Amino acid sequence: MTDQPILELKHISKRFGGLQALDNVDFDLREGETHALVGENGAGKSTLMRILSGVYAEYEGEFRLDGQPVHLNSPANALARGIGMIHQELSVMPELSVAENVFLGRQPLTAFGTIDWRRMNRVAAEELTKLGFPDIDVRRPLEQYPLGIQQVVEVLRVILSGARVLIMDEPTSALSPSEVDHLIGLIAALREQKRSIIYISHFLEEIMRVCDRVTVLRDGRKVATLRRDETNMNHLIALILGREINATLPTAAVRTSEKVMLSVKHLSSDAFRDINLEVGAGEIVGLYGAVGAGHFNVAKALFGMYRIDAGEISLDGDIFPRRFSARYAIKRGVAYATESRRKSLFLDEANYRNITLPHLARIGGIAPRASRELAFAAPAMTRVNVQPNEPKSAVGKLSGGNQQKVAIARWITYPPKIFIVSEPTRGMDVGAKNEVLGILRNFRNDGYAVLVVSSEPETVLAVCDRILVMSRGGIVAEMVNSDAVNKDTLMRLL
Amino acid sequence: MTTPANTAERMLPERDSRRQFRALLPIIAPFLTLIVLFLFFSVTTTTFNNPINLNNILVQISTIAILATGMTFVLLTGEIDLSIAAMVTLSGVVSAHLFANLDLREPFTTVVPLGVATLLGFVSGFASTKFRIPTFMVTLAMSLIASGLSIGITEGRIVFDYSEVIRTLGSGRFIIPEAGINLRVLTILAAICLFIGFLVLRYTRFGRYIYMTGANKSAARLAGVDTDMMVIAALTICGFTAGLAGLANVGRLASAQPTVINGFLIDTIGAVVLGGTSLSGGRGGIIQTVGGLLIYGTLRNGLDNLPQLQTGAGVFFKEFITGIVLFVALIVNVLLSGRASRDRT
Repeated sequence: MTDQPILELKHISKRFGGLQALDNVDFDLREGETHALVGENGAGKSTLMRILSGVYAEYEGEFRLDGQPVHLNSPANALARGIGMIHQELSVMPELSVAENVFLGRQPLTAFGTIDWRRMNRVAAEELTKLGFPDIDVRRPLEQYPLGIQQVVEVLRVILSGARVLIMDEPTSALSPSEVDHLIGLIAALREQKRSIIYISHFLEEIMRVCDRVTVLRDGRKVATLRRDETNMNHLIALILGREINATLPTAAVRTSEKVMLSVKHLSSDAFRDINLEVGAGEIVGLYGAVGAGHFNVAKALFGMYRIDAGEISLDGDIFPRRFSARYAIKRGVAYATESRRKSLFLDEANYRNITLPHLARIGGIAPRASRELAFAAPAMTRVNVQPNEPKSAVGKLSGGNQQKVAIARWITYPPKIFIVSEPTRGMDVGAKNEVLGILRNFRNDGYAVLVVSSEPETVLAVCDRILVMSRGGIVAEMVNSDAVNKDTLMRLL
Repeated sequence: MTTPANTAERMLPERDSRRQFRALLPIIAPFLTLIVLFLFFSVTTTTFNNPINLNNILVQISTIAILATGMTFVLLTGEIDLSIAAMVTLSGVVSAHLFANLDLREPFTTVVPLGVATLLGFVSGFASTKFRIPTFMVTLAMSLIASGLSIGITEGRIVFDYSEVIRTLGSGRFIIPEAGINLRVLTILAAICLFIGFLVLRYTRFGRYIYMTGANKSAARLAGVDTDMMVIAALTICGFTAGLAGLANVGRLASAQPTVINGFLIDTIGAVVLGGTSLSGGRGGIIQTVGGLLIYGTLRNGLDNLPQLQTGAGVFFKEFITGIVLFVALIVNVLLSGRASRDRT
């Protein structure tokens, strides 16, 4: 590692309307260095990353590569200058072979203009060996390999496109622990090749393992850049949050309710494993994890919409079969509002029709009359305070917060035994957020069992009686939500 | 991102009448097209708008109308059925074969062919949902199966014997002289099919499920709708209507022919889509299909009446002109109904 930075940002500022996303940030990267970028959601990591990768061409400040000022105006332009981006969502083509993915868009050609398969396969195999993966058969379709390998292939493709600097955005959030070890091996191999990496991650433990330096951002400002030996995890958390941490690690949690409604034992699938949880009547339980932790898939599985391989789900004493449909779940008393309103609502349809759909058989028999549907939907909309309260107008015309209220209003007339809500307040303003959380509290006070699944610590801390933390597909902690539990506690557990 | 300024703009009360008109436009558009075509042919031909010819149009579209009823269900779920033309053939051939060669009588010569077509529709739906094969492929295969069966059963021959019921369905007349009613039974049958289809789609829970399945499959499933069952049901219904059209067609042509008339498939899908039922599901309905059928019938019949296309070189261009007019009619429809705009994801 030399001390001469190959990439340097000076006094970078970026503003979106009234929001100062980045304020006078400095950053530098040396050859062969792995440099982590950490901070809370909204601290400015994404904005900085987008400037580095050419997505945002408009900003204030100076951007130097190899000492020369540059101005990148597109990701393609950035790549041409040697800066490649590895997104959280990989952009591989699962049906194509490993080698084809490595050479996507720039396959070597023979003299006749056809694809030179032999050369392509040979070079791909050689390069993978250099990175420490000699066992990959480059002729097999990429989809036959696990996510961790797919990521390696994407990294290799970006390198072969000429990247000396790799920006990796949350590379491990969806990986299993053994795959994380692979990735760390890969990073070591890249360091050998004198390539530099900007590593963005929530997982501080991992950062302490792989990174040479860490830059902490908070509220759009750079707080510090530290060598690994100058810091530790607690110190980093304190810098990220901007105050001394007071994380008392939780002791064993007890249910806060007497009567168990939902009981899940050893539930496993490809996205999560050995999930055990209980939700009692009159209790809100939070299932918290970083994006990719598998908690959203648990929610889907409880509604029969994600295939499980093992384990048992029982609701109020009823044991569910291994495979069941959403219809079955609804009949047994499971209600579910997904994290994606686009997926769960008919945006072009009237509010009342969205609300009555799951209960149409009970409301109207074989030929439901609009008047009876309205009589069902209107009070529900009033109870959750949908604004404007027009049952006959389309859901798509409402704001996000009010759409969410409609999604919830579906389930309040016939009380479910368990109400599962994924990301109940995502993308809402403070007012709408509080309203939705208030609705969930009312549910609890009426004796419902509620499971809130979220990646926003604020949300689970605000409404949950008990919190389970998931990381990489497993539950890693369980605690009663009290004053002693705060964001620090949750962040440490990720 | 909504800025306060454009929220306010959107809240501005658009004049009520105008807004209502705009909301109705997608439904009105096909009928506007129809009026334009009607006026055009009334002016350019001498034979188009006399009552006999207008009745002709109804007769010409009746078979297609029966097929279109089932097809509307299928398209609303976002699927497609490419086997209807072959089903028409199969159903007719089975009926005539039972009558002429196996000496069976009613009700067998109507119930069995209807049952066969319905069952094959069900099989297509079941195979498609169970094995996750697109209906496009499944019904294409089913089309070959049905047409192969038709040829196999009759060994390629045309059958000229068929039951009285079939004759009545295809060419019988319903006449009440005092009331001046003189309609083809086939036309009445088509009207009944469309009307039942309309009631089911518009007013029943099942109809709602059909729409929701096509509008947003994941949302329908999340609301507990058995979307697979809806696809199966739609294809089963479509099989039934194709079988019915097949029976009527034998009576109309006075024979059961083992060759598949591919025009039925193209005309049916053309009419339904022209009316405004979306190929991707969830939008449209029987009213739209009726509009589409009338446009289609008027267009075909009107061009037949156009003197320029009846003699000389024009004869050879009729198909071409029909295609062009259909093309333009589709574009006008889409523009009028505002389906071309907005969301581009």
